[in-house]
Amino acid sequence: MTLTGMKKHVAVLEQAGLVTTRKIGRVRTCQLGPRRLEEETAWLESYRQRWDERFDELDRVVEELTRKEKSDDSRNR
Amino acid sequence: MTAGIGSSGPVKNRTTVERKSDREVVVTRTINGPARIVFQAFTQADLLRRWWVPRSMGMTLLSCEVDARVGGKYRLVFDFDPEPVAFFGTYVEVEPYSRLAWTNEEGGEGGSVTTVTFEETGGRTLVVLQETYPSKEALDAAGTGAAEAMIETFDQLDELLVTLAESSGQ
Repeated sequence: MTLTGMKKHVAVLEQAGLVTTRKIGRVRTCQLGPRRLEEETAWLESYRQRWDERFDELDRVVEELTRKEKSDDSRNR
Repeated sequence: MTAGIGSSGPVKNRTTVERKSDREVVVTRTINGPARIVFQAFTQADLLRRWWVPRSMGMTLLSCEVDARVGGKYRLVFDFDPEPVAFFGTYVEVEPYSRLAWTNEEGGEGGSVTTVTFEETGGRTLVVLQETYPSKEALDAAGTGAAEAMIETFDQLDELLVTLAESSGQ
């Protein structure tokens, strides 16, 4: 990879807040952005869990109604 | 006679979450039943109250009113200390068995809009639920409720801007 290419990659990561960089003299040091990726992941995971629990309950309700409808159907035949 | 097949119990499907943009989150899940019944479970108060608040959330639903017509309102009241909390809004799109959209107005002006689509395949229904917030900050706050996290993000942005200014100035 060229130096220019590398710079572009780092700039994208930096803009996303996933790394921070620091230049001392001629050396630019990259570090992982503090907790940023973990925060993002934790946010998504708490959101996902909330909906997952809801949808588990929804599944139960829908399955019960579907079963009931089927048995009502066969009884009415 | 099809009864009795699959005694191993229902399959649990995966729930996925994706941040589609700074202001939008999309949740998908396949539900084991036809779209008509899933739609009913979203739009009938007696059914909605059975699943919208799982026990694990540790909240008790005191009342649940739903008028799922365009312009109709919903109102869910939860038991909360020191006083009950209400979540409410207006249905803006109602297309039976395929599409629903409602506003979330409890936070005052500029609340999120929730859009749900139902797509049935082979007796199962893919539910795609999208929440659109007025701003990135509103979305971030909805996930964690932590204002501090936002301040931290701004601090990081500050740092980033300083770094970028440095690197462009040489």
